[in-house]
Amino acid sequence: MSEITPAVEIRHLVKDFKTSFKRQPLRAVDDVSIRIMPGEVYGLIGPNGSGKSTTMKALLGLVAPTLGQCAIFGKDSLKVDSRNEVGFLPENPYFYKHLSGKETLEFYGKLCGIRGAALKDRVTELLELVDLTGASHRRIGGYSKGMLQRIGLAQALIQQPRLVILDEPTAGVDPIGSREIRDLIFKLREQGITVFLCSHLLEQVQEVCDHVGIIFRGKMVKEGKLEDLIAIEDQTELILKDADPALIAEIEALVARDANAELISSGRPRTTLERLFLRETKIQDSMENLPK
Amino acid sequence: MNPLPANAGIPDHIARITVIAFHAFTQLVRMKVFYFLAFFALILIASNFFNLPQHEGPEAAGLDVLRAIKSWSLGAMTLFSVVLSIVSTALLLPKDVEDRTLYTILAKPVPRLDYLAGKLLGVLLLIFVSLAIMDALMTGILHIRTNMVLADQMGFAKANNWTPEEITLLKKDILDLGPSASLQAAVFAVFLKATIIASLALFISTFSTSTLFTTIIAFLIYFIGHFQASARDAFLSQQAGMSDSIFAKIVTLLVALVFPDFELFNVIDAVIQGAILPLAILGKLVLIAILYAVFYILASWLIFAKKEF
Repeated sequence: MSEITPAVEIRHLVKDFKTSFKRQPLRAVDDVSIRIMPGEVYGLIGPNGSGKSTTMKALLGLVAPTLGQCAIFGKDSLKVDSRNEVGFLPENPYFYKHLSGKETLEFYGKLCGIRGAALKDRVTELLELVDLTGASHRRIGGYSKGMLQRIGLAQALIQQPRLVILDEPTAGVDPIGSREIRDLIFKLREQGITVFLCSHLLEQVQEVCDHVGIIFRGKMVKEGKLEDLIAIEDQTELILKDADPALIAEIEALVARDANAELISSGRPRTTLERLFLRETKIQDSMENLPK
Repeated sequence: MNPLPANAGIPDHIARITVIAFHAFTQLVRMKVFYFLAFFALILIASNFFNLPQHEGPEAAGLDVLRAIKSWSLGAMTLFSVVLSIVSTALLLPKDVEDRTLYTILAKPVPRLDYLAGKLLGVLLLIFVSLAIMDALMTGILHIRTNMVLADQMGFAKANNWTPEEITLLKKDILDLGPSASLQAAVFAVFLKATIIASLALFISTFSTSTLFTTIIAFLIYFIGHFQASARDAFLSQQAGMSDSIFAKIVTLLVALVFPDFELFNVIDAVIQGAILPLAILGKLVLIAILYAVFYILASWLIFAKKEF
């Protein structure tokens, strides 16, 4: 059986940038290797300036590696044909303000060689997917940050790529917009599309990714399956609903009787501020929309 | 999920270039650049009321107005097309880089040469459409005015009992100053000149750090281009025996590449005076414009292909 071609293969990538004032070039990426298999959702995390965006740009052929190679589905990133299979959403994207959302998608579709009825259908489908059908005829100049991100995601998907690269997809977006983008990433995963995203919002990465890499000062410091990386091997979590205090006391007594086990904490789990915000705004929204 | 069919081959390059060209054209149109046509209309109307002190006899009355309409119109066309070609080209590339729209375009299967060629063609399409509108306005006004002058002069000739031969000659002189194929060729020569300047501006913008730098350098080269041939010939004639040397030929070629010889386009002035623009000269101008455009696009591509974003 032949080996499956990785969706992304970055081998020993090094990228140096010339600096105006320093003689020593700035090393933005230092010997980074990443392998993403088809269907995986990979998150590259790291602080600002750690080399995340440069790695993505090298993968897209926007910057040339100083050393090492990048390939998309086995095709060299520096070759134009490698981009047939990839969609890219840059950080804080700005599209042509003079075009409407629909015209924007049509423009990118035509660049990918899609024409006629196929293009029309694809544009309609994507506008529905990103929930921008109502704003499709509005000029991009009047779009909110969240709408820009969503139209950006739609343009990335226009030619039905097998790999989608997202650079800080929720940067500057409010929690509702952020949730919508995350839901879209889940949909992509369900469709078997490989997603390579970078972010410094760790909670978001944890929620959507199955593989992560931690990059710091240009170097890959940790990489692997998310579950393996974050699991605490010697601990077990037990969450109960509507438990009687007597039952809890009984469990605690059982644990105390065991010579090896130790109860580390017990109490009411907390929701996240984000979940609270989403729940409250949803309740408020449904109350306002009640028939009077 | 199967990817949609990807383009390959020359027809697909042409299709992609066309998409980018029409997009650049739309972008410039929506920047309301066509407002300058209102200024052109004003210039055209003003040229109708232009009257130089009459030094010639009454048989030449009105001919100055015909010359003025052509001179003012072609002058305005040259000015607008040069400004449009430099400013539009200097603006489009840096804007895409600043707005990061370039990332999303180059992340699609778009070769960088297609992108450059598309942007240039978009600017040229805008200039062509602008010139066509200005040309239609000029030709219309000139046609009406020529008929008016012709009617006046025929009345004058008949009142003074001119011979039929003299009348035919007068009629020819007037019609030569009216709309003609040579006048259309002169407008096309203005377009060719703009083509060279736009491709030059595209080349500069690939290594320039700002729109302002591109604009200033392009205008500078444009003005130098108007006297570079004379300056070169004067220099070579002073250096005895140098004009035939290989060194002189290389220097001449390099100077001609950096500073296109715009003196060649002075034939437009002769057309204003009623002269005919020979096809051979027009053909030469077409060839020169194509050569410069191809050279500058390829030079731009060499720089742009290695550019990192």
